[in-house]
Parts: sequence; structure tokens; C-alpha cells
Amino acid sequence: MIKKDLELLVSLQDIDLMIEEVGDVEKLGFSVSGYTELKKAREELAANISKPLLFRYERLRGKLKRAIVPVKNDICLGCFLRQPTSIGVKGREDEQIFTCENCGRMLYWLD
Amino acid sequence: MHRSELARYFKDNLFLAGLKSGSKEDAIAELLDIFVQEKYIRNRDIVLEMLHQRETLGSTGIGKGVAIPHGRTTAAADVLIAFGKSEAGIDFDAIDGKPVHLFFMVIAPPNDEGNVYLPILGSLVTILNEKANRDKLQKVATYQDFLSIITGE
Repeated sequence: MIKKDLELLVSLQDIDLMIEEVGDVEKLGFSVSGYTELKKAREELAANISKPLLFRYERLRGKLKRAIVPVKNDICLGCFLRQPTSIGVKGREDEQIFTCENCGRMLYWLD
Repeated sequence: MHRSELARYFKDNLFLAGLKSGSKEDAIAELLDIFVQEKYIRNRDIVLEMLHQRETLGSTGIGKGVAIPHGRTTAAADVLIAFGKSEAGIDFDAIDGKPVHLFFMVIAPPNDEGNVYLPILGSLVTILNEKANRDKLQKVATYQDFLSIITGE
């Protein structure tokens, strides 16, 4: 069950990534007949995210294409800058949203 | 993408010759659970949600007994493919309505080095469009034999 703000944002971005590539996967022969339903699911999910956070997400997406990026081995996979180990401990709990000091993207810890 | 290059994205610990699931939902979960067990994915719920949303867009059952559930997720760092085979076949809402026996689950990060995600999907579709490859995969029991079919060697 996805409850936390950061998890909701990650799911929102996952849908946005899917929407971005709909044309490409269709060309490969996959069915995309549920495009309208997917857009609706996206809006329903977005409605569960606080407006300021959603605004921040949309603004980052507009500017940097990916608003949230994975962090692996303490490396931001958006700009490859090492993140302070101290924030990784809290970051992994998914409770607080941290941003990369270098690229400004929101961070999601994978390990 | 060349078939030998495609083979690099499979792993022996993401190979499941005997899927136990009897439904679409269970098959997706069973395949995803291999990624989780092998610690490629930390947050199962997020990836499961993404895979369900992908099925909302349209079934990834491409017909002829094949399904390629796939998607990019912020909860992954590398492109990985799991293979699963069901002897009995699973109703996957495939485009031809036939049960699915061969499953390739493709998980990719938001950005992947070399932009290989779409070429991987294309390469899989090409290989699986060939009846001879599907027939061989139906009988495959070991990971080594599986890789030989994928590489075409």
C-alpha cells in the first residue's frame, strides 16, 4: 500500500514516464488502448498529493525532465554527485523529501 | 539491438522455469517478487503499482502465448529482465485472448545508460515473433539453454 508523499510522487512520475513513451511502445506492437484510463489514474493519484508538493514536482519536471531520481550507493543518479551519508539514513525511511544540493532533484533511495 | 547484447540484461537469479501463478495478478506479483528477493528492488509496492498501471494502458500480453510486462520506475537503478514460464498457461487478457506461457518482465530506471530500454523491448518482440524461438522457450529448463535461445547461438 502506497501512503507516503514521496512514494506517491514516485508513482506519479512512473505514470508520467509511461505516458511519455506511449507512442514508442505502441510502435513496437504493444496495446495502448487504455490511454484515457491511464490519464484518469494519473489525475486521481495527483489529487492525493498536496498542492505545494505537486507544484514543486511539476516545476522540477518542466525544468529537469525527471523531478525525482534514484539514489544508489549514496550517488544521485540524476547528476552523479555523492550525497552526504547522514541524509541517507533518513532518506531510506521515505518519510522526508531530500533534494540533491547539486541538481535540485528530489531523491529516492534504492538501497 | 543485437541479441548477444540483449543477453547481458538477463540474470540466472531472475530465471523462473516453473511459474506457479494461476492468474494475471499473481503472475505479475510472482515475477516481481524475484526482483525483490534478489534485492534488485527495495520497494515492492511502488513497482507493483507501476506494473498494474501499465496493464491499465493495455495488456502486455502480446499474443501467441507471450507477455512482456514492462515499465520504467524511479524505484530501480538498472535495466533488468526476469523470465518466467508457465506450463499450464495463464489468462493475461492477451490481445489474442490466448493463455500466456512465456513471460519477460522488463524493469528500467527513469534514465538508463545508452537508452537501451526501448531497444530491449523491440528486440524481445522480434525474437518472440518467431515461432521457432517460442517453441524452444516453451521447452527450456536451464538458464544456459535459455541464454542460447536468446543469443541465437
